[in-house]
Amino acid sequence: MQEEITRRISDDLLRPLVETSWRFWLLVAVLGSVVATGLATWFYQIYNGFGITGIRNPIYWAFYITNFVFWIGISHAGTLISAILRLVNAGWRRPVTRCAEVITVFALMIGALFPIIHLGRPWLFFWLMPYPSERQIWPNFRSPLVWDFFAITTYLTGSVLFLALPMIPDFALVRDKSTGWRRRVYAALSLGWQGTTKQWHRLESAMQIMAIAIIPVAVSVHTIVSFDFSMAPVPMWHSTIFGPYFVAGAIFSGIAALIVAMAAVRRFLHLEAYLHPVHFENLGKLLLMMSLLWAYFVFAERLTVWYGNESAEREVLLVTQRGSFAPLYWTMIVCNLVIPFVVLSLRKLRTIAGCVTASFTVLIGMWLERFLIVVPSLGHKYLPYSWGTYRPRPVEIIITISTFAAMMLLYTLFSKLVPIISIWELKVGEHPFAQETAAEAGNHRLWKANP
Amino acid sequence: MEGESVTAIYALYSDPDHVQRAVDNLRAAGLHDRDIVVISSEPIEEYEFSARDKATWLFYAAGFGGVVGLVFATWLTTMTQKAWPIVTGNMAIVAWWPNMIIMFELTMLGAILATVITMLVAANLPKRGPKLYDPEVADGKILVGIENPPSTSVQSIERALLSGGVARLKKIGARP
Amino acid sequence: MAVDLDRCTGCGACVTACHAENNIPTVGADQAARGRAMHWIRVERYFEGEFPDVRVKFRPVMCQHCDAAPCEPVCPTYASHHTSEGLNAQVYNRCIGTRYCANACPYNVRFFDFFHPQWPKPLHLQLNPDVSLREVGVMEKCTFCVQRISAAEIQAKADNRELQDGEIKPACAQACPSKALVFGDLNDPDSDVSRLSRSGRGTKLLGDLGTLPKVTYLERETQG
Repeated sequence: MQEEITRRISDDLLRPLVETSWRFWLLVAVLGSVVATGLATWFYQIYNGFGITGIRNPIYWAFYITNFVFWIGISHAGTLISAILRLVNAGWRRPVTRCAEVITVFALMIGALFPIIHLGRPWLFFWLMPYPSERQIWPNFRSPLVWDFFAITTYLTGSVLFLALPMIPDFALVRDKSTGWRRRVYAALSLGWQGTTKQWHRLESAMQIMAIAIIPVAVSVHTIVSFDFSMAPVPMWHSTIFGPYFVAGAIFSGIAALIVAMAAVRRFLHLEAYLHPVHFENLGKLLLMMSLLWAYFVFAERLTVWYGNESAEREVLLVTQRGSFAPLYWTMIVCNLVIPFVVLSLRKLRTIAGCVTASFTVLIGMWLERFLIVVPSLGHKYLPYSWGTYRPRPVEIIITISTFAAMMLLYTLFSKLVPIISIWELKVGEHPFAQETAAEAGNHRLWKANP
Repeated sequence: MEGESVTAIYALYSDPDHVQRAVDNLRAAGLHDRDIVVISSEPIEEYEFSARDKATWLFYAAGFGGVVGLVFATWLTTMTQKAWPIVTGNMAIVAWWPNMIIMFELTMLGAILATVITMLVAANLPKRGPKLYDPEVADGKILVGIENPPSTSVQSIERALLSGGVARLKKIGARP
Repeated sequence: MAVDLDRCTGCGACVTACHAENNIPTVGADQAARGRAMHWIRVERYFEGEFPDVRVKFRPVMCQHCDAAPCEPVCPTYASHHTSEGLNAQVYNRCIGTRYCANACPYNVRFFDFFHPQWPKPLHLQLNPDVSLREVGVMEKCTFCVQRISAAEIQAKADNRELQDGEIKPACAQACPSKALVFGDLNDPDSDVSRLSRSGRGTKLLGDLGTLPKVTYLERETQG
């Protein structure tokens, strides 16, 4: 009976790797062409000069930095779900962990690309790395951008390893089930994994340490991204709340992205038996909690600014709430708070479709939130003579859309090459073996005494 | 047969209880714990046979890696800031607040890398060359075996493995 | 530097002189309309009161060379840093164009080269050989005409004498017809600029932000 379960799990979860329909190729082609357009647009920007964007005095950061913060925020999905649920040993995490960790890795890669895209001279981005140069000059460690470099490098390394380690036993499984060149590739990827008790223990110990280590790294990464703003004397940027505010927002958008990705995977890879409505419900409850937490931070920040009456800050507050940015601001409130609150707190609406709807609105709302942090403040700094407005140009819009396509493309390709649900972890959860009693355990020790 | 020389001898079980009995019988037959190999497609925590090999230096390795990262980061930031002292924003030349951020990140990076490297080394990965394995393990069977058994013990090992319960016995590299 | 707002007529000669001296490109009407004009010194114009009792106030704003400049620590490559003479330096070939310094500057005096600078004929004939040309993607700003400062220092050293007060005149100070802009050594308590900075009419622009700007604006207190 248990063997049947095992075989069914393996077959179901390996099917996407083995069977490919024309729909897959069509999707890859469409997404690939959007990504290629984005790349071509970026090179067009480098060739023609940064002026083809909508950036202007005094709004020197806009869409690209919004995207940067947005994608780094999305990357908190994997860590928090995977690492925290692993540490508290929540059983329902098992089908969810790899979906989440994959989002982290790809979102980080895309997010890390944006500081390069937004540079005036991007071919010199390597000056952010500390290397002994012939000029004997090093990066300025006082700059939050250098902190970004270190934080994102650490987090990316950690996330890739956190994703890759539990993939090793699954690669061994794919190796066993495949033939020909595929077998050779997966045999190499599985590093000769056997599954001895020692290997399992080492793997699980390593996963435990990684889970403990990756959480402070994740918190620090988005805190450091928030420091890009809070270290500058710009009205409504120079706020001490930015660290926790951004981390909460990141977790918030990360969970939303995870729900969307899981729903897509469930639908297109026919994994209805493994991703149950209860998984979505649990994540939906987490999403609701994060929505309230986000709203709490926004309220605390805005109340302080409104109450404090500092003229420059108040100006930025009003321009978002009542001025030219008001439509975007109130859309954000509806998307981030009202819709999730209604949909996710009523059990009847907290279905898979409901959770996915709420997640989509949250993703839109969180993108708007990043935009509304960056642009209104820069447009209304301390000297009114220099205030300005921002309008995005086609370059920025195309590149933004192409990164969403890139995320979907990477996710699609990944789920074609690697089982999107961690098979061995799922098996452990499906049939836990009977617990031995202490007396029985003692019996075995008698035998062990025999040299 | 007595005097048979084989590369490995193992049996496949469906039930971890049988595995436990087989392991106990092998111990009774005089084999060391470190010679007995148990292979499965998923970790089986709850049985005694998997309790050996549990102790690990991995946590200490992670700590050591963290310390290495911390020392390196402290050296990197203070050394570079003192090598070419450039004044920025009325801040100190060796700026401790920002340096602490770099120190934190590289500490965590050191811990993470040390954990992964130690784990790969301890788990003997990547493992090239011949290894004891059977594709049926992928279907949920648990393998218990001995690699390079002394030729005199082959029969007693066979008996121990078969007495464990329902099993399929296999030999690798058996010479008639 | 000291700027006497009671003398400033808003003529804009300082802006033009700065463009000429420092090889600042004109960006064209279209780009200027999009807010990308690069005036290292600009004359801000404020209207006070209702018609017909309107008063116009002019304020020339250039880089304040703050002693606690917020633009300096945020530059990841040390392109923006403080020199030993107290100037805020912008090193063009170290700049990778993150534009963080421009965001951090509360005075909005830092400018980005959005396109490769071009000088339509015949402006290409008046480029100053003492000032390097910038390429697309770097930040630039007022340097207090550091080329003139260096030239005067080198000359003084060659002549084996001290620098005299008033010997160094940035282009804007030189061009100002009402002598509203005064430049000198703040470390010398007897220099004109030091005296003016100590004047009772003196304030610092956005002084409460803690940037410690070096430019003092002199303005007579008016009623109301």
